[in-house]
Amino acid sequence: MAEGTADLAVVFGGPSPEHDVSVLTGLQSARALDARCLYWTKTGEWYEVDRGLEASAFVDGVPRGASRVQLLIESGFASDASRFGRPRPLGVDVAVVCCHGGPGEDGTLQAALDLAGVRYTGPTVAGAALGMDKLAFAAVITQAGLPALPRALLDKATTDVGFGPPYIVKPRFGGSSIGISANVADLQTAVALLDANRHLRAGAVLEPYRADLFDLQVAVRSWPELGISAIERPLRTPRAGGAAGEPDILGYADKYVGGEGMASAPRELPAKIDAALADTLKEAAAVVARRCSVRGVTRVDFLSDGRELFVNEINTIPGSLARYLWIDPPVPFRTLLADMVDEARRRPSHHYTVEGADGTVLRGAASIAAKLA
Amino acid sequence: MIVGLLNETSGSAWGTYGACVLALVPAGARWLRVAQREHYIADSASRFALRWWTSEPANLALGAVALAGVVIGGLWPLAALATVAVAVVGPLHLSVHGRTSPLVLTRRLKTLAGVWVLCEGVLLGVGAGVGAPVPFAAAGLVAAPALVDAALLVTAPFERRASERFVERAADRLRRVAPTIVAVTGSYGKTSTKNHIAHLVAGSKSVVATPASFNNRGGLARAVNEHLAEGTDVFVAEMGTYGPGEIRDLCRWCPPQISVMTAVGPVHLERFGSEDAILAAKSEITEGAATVVVNADDRRLAALGSVLDAAKDGPQVVRAAVEDPNADVRVRVDGERVTVVVDGVVAGAPVTLRPGIQPSNLACAVAVALQLDVPLDAVLARIPTLPAVANRLTADTSASGVHVIDDTFNSNPAGARAALALLAAAAAAVDGRRVLVTPGMVELGARQASENETLAQAACEVVSTLVVVGLTNRRALLRGAAGLVPVVVVRTRSEAVAWVRANLGPGDAVLYENDLPDHYP
Repeated sequence: MAEGTADLAVVFGGPSPEHDVSVLTGLQSARALDARCLYWTKTGEWYEVDRGLEASAFVDGVPRGASRVQLLIESGFASDASRFGRPRPLGVDVAVVCCHGGPGEDGTLQAALDLAGVRYTGPTVAGAALGMDKLAFAAVITQAGLPALPRALLDKATTDVGFGPPYIVKPRFGGSSIGISANVADLQTAVALLDANRHLRAGAVLEPYRADLFDLQVAVRSWPELGISAIERPLRTPRAGGAAGEPDILGYADKYVGGEGMASAPRELPAKIDAALADTLKEAAAVVARRCSVRGVTRVDFLSDGRELFVNEINTIPGSLARYLWIDPPVPFRTLLADMVDEARRRPSHHYTVEGADGTVLRGAASIAAKLA
Repeated sequence: MIVGLLNETSGSAWGTYGACVLALVPAGARWLRVAQREHYIADSASRFALRWWTSEPANLALGAVALAGVVIGGLWPLAALATVAVAVVGPLHLSVHGRTSPLVLTRRLKTLAGVWVLCEGVLLGVGAGVGAPVPFAAAGLVAAPALVDAALLVTAPFERRASERFVERAADRLRRVAPTIVAVTGSYGKTSTKNHIAHLVAGSKSVVATPASFNNRGGLARAVNEHLAEGTDVFVAEMGTYGPGEIRDLCRWCPPQISVMTAVGPVHLERFGSEDAILAAKSEITEGAATVVVNADDRRLAALGSVLDAAKDGPQVVRAAVEDPNADVRVRVDGERVTVVVDGVVAGAPVTLRPGIQPSNLACAVAVALQLDVPLDAVLARIPTLPAVANRLTADTSASGVHVIDDTFNSNPAGARAALALLAAAAAAVDGRRVLVTPGMVELGARQASENETLAQAACEVVSTLVVVGLTNRRALLRGAAGLVPVVVVRTRSEAVAWVRANLGPGDAVLYENDLPDHYP
């Protein structure tokens, strides 16, 4: 282990549909940082693996030579294999969180790390949870006066949403585009999807579907100061011969299949858009960053028809940590990561306090029996 | 004591003794690799040793020399050097390290090697005890395969206990996640059927299927421990078997609600003895299941269905088929396209399947999806997007213009017949030379010779040249092709490919049928 990095660990994988993409992001980051690699399996177990591994080593599950690790609430990451049967703390001080989707990006892992006293990069519990809830995020954006398409809760009781078809139905929680149905003809069909589409079980939102809109994405970083990347326009691959009902939206396969994850997806970078539109977009991204207390690198996704602009969603731990977007001014991946680690060390992810719990209440209290009487 | 004995005889005996012990390293590595390739089955090293030493006259002669060295070594120790020399180089063509399938130093292999060294040590000890160290040391070289098998027997209970922990964890996880378990077995088609089920169900339910070849006890446990995430609705487990009781054991801790049997054929016949024994071993999968899906076109499985129907408290039997018009789910082949028929009623329009998808496997998968309460419309909608099945019978035209049919992952008579039919069809289109390149089929037990002879005969109706690879089935294939077509005999697959490059051109067609790893002669 290189000096000064023994206390750094890149954390990736996890029980999420984006487990595989996370492995790519994690391995890229671990190589750039010379950090330990902590792999979180699809079934929720932890292993330390060699950072020299290639992605293919994870195809069948836990790679050969991995050693079991536990995340202990009272002492952080610890090795399972010790001479006297007691876990040996690994001494991990900062976790570089490279998990996408699921409990690695929705605040669950962040909460565990907070309790375990491990500092980490990326969103806090609250920031992660907000980024993962499309309905709550839309409320924050609208309240900030930013332009967004109307977004309504879709459940069995939904009868009127205040805007007309065609609709796009999305899972309320979840990162990637898995489970999205575009060009839904009417509300009745949309409600029927709730039963047919398992990805909508935890909740669904409804928006107007506009085939004329394209995606624009920009990355925002929070340390040492607010920074905004170049704007990209991701390109969709036309679905020749695709099955009926497969939406023509930026899909999971467009983003991740066939390469190094988001870093090698087809795109126009920088996006060839009107300069005024680009300025508006960057200003909006800065507002989103402040409202959602961005930490680490976040990607903000917009929809546009070339003139109008709508904030679509926020990705608090984007694929490849959006490293490919930092071209103007250029930020090397190593610097991007080092700044995130620095932020993790200096800007706490949580503030627990026991102020007020000074015993006054306890001293003055009558016996429990008297209270229950 | 050994030193004493040797000193009493001569210094050259000392040297011979040392050479015998050193030669144990290459001899042991060879047979340990075979054992590893043959799934640590306790008789594999001896079986393959017999196969190799009798594979060609040169090896037969070397084997005789090695034995003679042991016997004569009792009188004249230097003779044992002949045994040492043979153990270092032979059997010819069986490499120590392996090219297609190298020796992998896993924990299990190291344990096995350690126990094998102990077995050899016992033999050396006995030799010293009876005052004949050199001949016993030489015998240790000749008996290396047998002693590897002995070590396999000794380590088997230990290995079982070591895997118990993982199996317990897997059983625990299955109880906690509580998915509907679908188990798939069959002599062939089980991997494709498993993948088809996962694809058809994936739109409606969260499904996890066991990865590629994780179909034995250790593999299944690993699949559960590492892939069965919380919230999984359906777990599709492929179950393979090398003998009676294995699937029953898997079902004990991974009990399927729905069991699927795709086909029964002469695969691993060597281990089972008969196809009825194969059927019996595979049928263990039906024992606790509420529903059993069988491929009704398979004569034995159709009969099994009737037996299960007649049984008191037996499972619900669902028949899937391509041919049988009375099947519950039928995938009817209409030219290039297939039509799904459920309970005698045509469901949806005819669809074109991607390459490599066998309609019989699809029929089983559709039946399972419907049993899992996936709506028929949802099942039909996903059939056109079923991914092509890779590595099994692919056809392409190479850069040199030769039409290449690749069926190298196949090793059963039915698959070989299908591939030959494809070659015949391709030949009709291109009107050039037609060549079959094959090492023949293995693991067919007593029928191996006759099945390969039949394959060669059938091939001669289609091909203009037969290229026989390796020694494993050379005699049977030559017998089948005798007097019918010209035969080219080569030692390895790469020599065969070189022959094809040199001799075939545009308009010609070649079928590569089966490929054998290099621990086969």
